[in-house]
Amino acid sequence: MKCLLRGEGITIRLSDFHLDNVSMEIHEGDYCCILGETGAGKSVLLESFIGMYPRMKGRIFLRDRDITRLPPEKRELGIVYQDYMLFPHLNVFDNIAFGLRKKRLAREEIRGRVHSMAERLGISHILERDVQTLSGGEKQRTAISRALVARPQVLLMDEAFSALDATTREKMRSFIRDLVRELGTTVVHVTHDVDDVWALANKVVVMFDGKVLQAGPPEDVFARPLPGRVAKFLGACNVFSATVGHFSEGELTPLSAGKGAIGLLSTDKACPGESVIVSVRPESIILAPHPLDLSARNQVRGQILKTEKRGPMTWVHGKTEAGPMKAILTDSALEALELAPGSEAFFIFKANCLRILGRKAPVQKPGADGAKL
Amino acid sequence: MRTRIFRGSFASVTALFSAMLLWAVLSLIFMPRWDEVLQSALSDEMLYSIRLSLLTSLISVAIVMVLAVCIGYVLARFSFPGHHVLRTLVDLPMAFPELVLGLCLLLLFGHGVLSQWLKGLGINIVFSQAAIVIAQVFTAAPYAIRVSYATFRGINPRYELVARSLGYCEFSAFWHVTLPMAKGGLFAAMVISFARCMGCFGTVLILAGGTRMFTETLPITLYLNISYGNLAMAMTSGIILIAISLGAILVFELLNREVML
Repeated sequence: MKCLLRGEGITIRLSDFHLDNVSMEIHEGDYCCILGETGAGKSVLLESFIGMYPRMKGRIFLRDRDITRLPPEKRELGIVYQDYMLFPHLNVFDNIAFGLRKKRLAREEIRGRVHSMAERLGISHILERDVQTLSGGEKQRTAISRALVARPQVLLMDEAFSALDATTREKMRSFIRDLVRELGTTVVHVTHDVDDVWALANKVVVMFDGKVLQAGPPEDVFARPLPGRVAKFLGACNVFSATVGHFSEGELTPLSAGKGAIGLLSTDKACPGESVIVSVRPESIILAPHPLDLSARNQVRGQILKTEKRGPMTWVHGKTEAGPMKAILTDSALEALELAPGSEAFFIFKANCLRILGRKAPVQKPGADGAKL
Repeated sequence: MRTRIFRGSFASVTALFSAMLLWAVLSLIFMPRWDEVLQSALSDEMLYSIRLSLLTSLISVAIVMVLAVCIGYVLARFSFPGHHVLRTLVDLPMAFPELVLGLCLLLLFGHGVLSQWLKGLGINIVFSQAAIVIAQVFTAAPYAIRVSYATFRGINPRYELVARSLGYCEFSAFWHVTLPMAKGGLFAAMVISFARCMGCFGTVLILAGGTRMFTETLPITLYLNISYGNLAMAMTSGIILIAISLGAILVFELLNREVML
């Protein structure tokens, strides 16, 4: 895939924040989510692509053409904001047609393109409506139509679903996923919601304090988040310190975890004697009141401390000699296993679910040079 | 009990002041005899004064609005060294008594480099009808600029960024997006400017002089006739001033409501 949008060493100093030497590449057809907490610099990075900060340092390329000093109208990028930014003095049709009018297209052509896009987005019936009377989902569809009908090279979305309620957000995700696949649109989507990443992205960039800390396909980033802030933000729990034991070529990596030096096995590789951080996702753990004869190589004895109901699932908190552990069970599974606080339980997981996140210290991060996708 | 005292005292102050204000306005309307008012309103002097006031105010409002849009936008959107100084500077005439502002303008246009240069071009501002417009512009502009600045500040600059991402240059984005979105605030600035221009007295008196049937706007008519002891003419010009200002506010409010709907 060709590199479509590339940022090199983007540095922006604002009064109370600065974006620090960020580099990243977006390839044609990518759906890239920029993930991070509020104030991480995600939106500033996105707006630097569109030209909001003409005094920034660094360079931005679109298909190898340097667009750093070009005004926003010459960049061929479209943007959709969380609060839609629909022009309140125009109706839905005129909002969508706004960019086409500037291209001086024939009236019939504008009409055709607007109707075709509106139909695709399911808003044909509201084209004559005042934008201030629309629901959040309708506003968002109008804003996306307005950006896409101008045929941008890259669509930038800034927290595009944050203002929507959970049901509409879920609908919009599925809708956007189908739409960008159908149109082949390249998207950069700023979000703080990991669900957006799982539902939409084939690439993810994790940012903190104006720096890119980690980037890659979502499966890799979620499976091996950098220890510390990234792991915490991505919801990594069951994180332990461990020491790598000796092993031969082709064998699983033996680990001695926690204060109890519990023996665990991982498919990830590390150097013998190294101190590492390991993690297993709670959804990868099976709970049982006694050891099971399964292919899962890790079976850790522990005690249930408490259970916590979250929607249709229950989080089970326990303590083991490796450290505190959490697992997720369905309500019916919990009932069938008769696991109550205080009872003994085995936390069972496969060797390929125990991921080595990194060396324990010093923590390394690729932020300064920019993590490249 | 405390709540009752609190509410009661605030309501009393409001009622007392409103009553005094209404009484003062009604005194002007009901004190003169209406045949005298009619006779004064149809006099040559009063008709001249009404025409001159309306003409100069309309010209001034047009100039003030151009200034208010430009300066208000610069202050709201651009960050530059001296931003605070510029804001204070354009607000300054609001803090001045009109007579002092008039004196400053008299010195600017009557003595010194600018006046010499204008005289070289054959233009004499002081004590001319053009001076009325200049006096009104300098008096009303700070109010309009303040309203326009607040209006532009209230419009998220990302609207313009979206417009620019759709192919519009900076000016086009301003023209097609920001300006239409600011229309409510700019209408308000226009109403305030018109009212200030119609009622502008001290600055006009100093810079344009109070020459009868030449630089005689409605406030000057009121002043001159009070000086001569012609109370009927003075009160008539007062009533007309109030009527025109109220009418303007009503028309602008109606237009504004229509535009906002």
